[in-house]
Amino acid sequence: MKTFRIGGVHPHDSKISRNCATEVLPLPQTVYISMAQHLGAPAVPCVAVGDKVKAGQIIAEPAPRALSAYVHSSVSGTVKSIAPRKDISGNSMTHIEIAVEGDEWAEGIDLTPELVTAIPSDRAETLRKIQMGGVVGLGGATFPAHIKLNPPAGSKAECLILNGAECEPFLTSDNRIMIERSREIVVGAAIMQMVLGGCPCRIGIEENKPEAIAAMRSAVRELAYPDIEVVVLKKKYPQGGEKQLINAVMGREVGSGQLPISAGAVVQNVATSLAVYEAVQKSKPLVTNTMTITGDCLPVERQHNYLFRIGIPLSWIAEYAGGVPEGAAKIVSGGPMMGKAISNLDACTVKGTSSLLYLSAKTTKRVDSSACIRCGRCAQACPMGLEPFLLNKLTINKMLDELEANAVQDCISCGSCQFSCPAGIPLLDNINMSKGQVLGIIRARAAAARAAAEAAKANQK
Amino acid sequence: MNKLLVSPSPHIHTKASTRSLMLDVVIAMLPATVVSVLFYGWAELLLLAVSVVSCVALEYLVTKFLLRRPSTVGDLSAVVTGILLALNVPPACPWWVILIGAVFAIGVTKLTFGGIGQNLFNPAIAGRVFLLVSFPAYMTDWTVTNGFIHATDAISGPTLLGAYAEGGVEAIEGVNYLHTLFLNIGGSAGEISAIALLAGFVYLLARKVIRPHITLSIWFTVAAISLIFWLANPAKYPDPIFALLSGGVLLGSIFMATDYVTSPMSDKGGIIFGVGIGVLTVLIRYCGAYPEGVSFAILIMNSVVPLINKFCHQKKYGRK
Repeated sequence: MKTFRIGGVHPHDSKISRNCATEVLPLPQTVYISMAQHLGAPAVPCVAVGDKVKAGQIIAEPAPRALSAYVHSSVSGTVKSIAPRKDISGNSMTHIEIAVEGDEWAEGIDLTPELVTAIPSDRAETLRKIQMGGVVGLGGATFPAHIKLNPPAGSKAECLILNGAECEPFLTSDNRIMIERSREIVVGAAIMQMVLGGCPCRIGIEENKPEAIAAMRSAVRELAYPDIEVVVLKKKYPQGGEKQLINAVMGREVGSGQLPISAGAVVQNVATSLAVYEAVQKSKPLVTNTMTITGDCLPVERQHNYLFRIGIPLSWIAEYAGGVPEGAAKIVSGGPMMGKAISNLDACTVKGTSSLLYLSAKTTKRVDSSACIRCGRCAQACPMGLEPFLLNKLTINKMLDELEANAVQDCISCGSCQFSCPAGIPLLDNINMSKGQVLGIIRARAAAARAAAEAAKANQK
Repeated sequence: MNKLLVSPSPHIHTKASTRSLMLDVVIAMLPATVVSVLFYGWAELLLLAVSVVSCVALEYLVTKFLLRRPSTVGDLSAVVTGILLALNVPPACPWWVILIGAVFAIGVTKLTFGGIGQNLFNPAIAGRVFLLVSFPAYMTDWTVTNGFIHATDAISGPTLLGAYAEGGVEAIEGVNYLHTLFLNIGGSAGEISAIALLAGFVYLLARKVIRPHITLSIWFTVAAISLIFWLANPAKYPDPIFALLSGGVLLGSIFMATDYVTSPMSDKGGIIFGVGIGVLTVLIRYCGAYPEGVSFAILIMNSVVPLINKFCHQKKYGRK
């Protein structure tokens, strides 16, 4: 069984909702679609108040000359407003409000369940379809997929890795789609293989999902595309971290500050593969995704996996699923290791939404921190091989040069250090703070170097 | 809706705490402690009580009234120090001597440096060495006190190492190692049974409280260096098994060299630390003035830990 080599922790996997089959969430009366559903610049609305829109119709275009993505309407209806609204953290972002009327989809979208297995051969056209479909990475970072699938000149994809690790405790949506929609995911993988120039594809799944492993293996066998294999991974957090997954599957490491493609790897989540399948084979843009309603204070019979549309208020989903359970002390969007605590339940689903996770005070309340006993557990846990105790001390003492020398900028914020600290020290809180500062310094230095080089060039002329 | 918590990730936390780790160390010391009480009786019980109570009381009083901050007795680290100190003195040691040792261990070695996590030296070892230097007569009085179980060949006499230092190899001829493994009367209270100490070691490893690097590198080094001495001159030096089983090698390598606070953070550093302790232990035994060198070796290597930490880092992902 494969795994990454450095660090890692073993939180209880708590996959309580693993057997809850995916249910289709009904539509509310109104949806609010955010312009910031991807990494990069927010999209720019291209509809006006009063416009009639159909589900799957483009309602916002990528910001010009920036990393950005298309946003589509997830419902049919009338645009009511284009105004700021708060996201889960309470930050303002432009949302398009649409009053739902019926459920009519834009022309050309194939909603039949029929599996389309023929892989297109036109690379540029396929990439364009992925871009026009607003496909972004659904593993957490929501990086626009068409950019990751189009490596810069001079670099070559040697392996496409599908991330089905789902190493975060509680979350089960990837598990469900791998069981229920395995063939579509495999077709998506074959499309991405073609786009990347025919590299091998490895589908990494953690050992705690035997049904998903079996379903994916059978789909791979049945469809018989060249060089796709399921790789069983050890249950260990953060197995699904991009750099850790590359290490586990390919035995390589991505150099500090480098992109995965420098190690010949392209990593996409299994949900992204499904979105690629729908965008390319069915012309259906990314307006739906799967999320888990779960938590340690939610009875098993109230746990769900939902196929949701983007733009639905989380509070509406919570109500539909029976309300916020008694004893919920914190609601998290995402997993308990890297998810975000929700401060505003009126925020709406976005492409990357993966869960409503209700945690009890007992599970989630922070312990009082005490003195570091130098046990070194944080360093043993760090999957990047860093020394969190040292970075924490350097942060408190504001020693930015030392922080950079000790690679704070390599931190992937997986939370393993803080999870494992017996003294309850908020290591990641502090490290995240100094990481931001150090990354700022590195960027400023690079910008200054570029400016100096350009000035020197201009002088030569 | 109730008020909800909002804080940065991670949102879950390991069950392990400083207190649970220290409790595990206490449990790991139980076999050795029980055996020492069984064979040394009330005298040993008194030493344990005085040592633990004075360590805990001192920690409480100093943090509360001198440092004026929340008391840290709840983390059980003072209990660990108290038990270790009692296991590190001869059972015939007067109670007021160990009280002084506790004051030095907790008051001077631990709290003047800032309390748990800040001390450079292992408090119990520093306490023991302080007593050894200040009260050499009491600290080398190997009278065997009356136990609840009477050892068949209970003698008042020197330890194995003491016998060797006095009389050379002939003095320890005929020592039965199997016997030593189970019952080694004479010596510090905790050194009585190698099996009891090893049981504690296995427990600590199984509970993942410690990693084996430090302990194993001490054993390996002590065995290797004493093997060299033995091969060079078997008439003068004892064999490696004797070197490992006699004196405080097991007690020190399992419970004191592995103290989180005063040992290196990295595995690589732990190995350097362990090798250093092993080398110094054998050199002090064979070339120094004292028959036993483990305590001094650990104390000396404690002082090198910051340096080791500075130069030993684990391999970082994606970097040479």
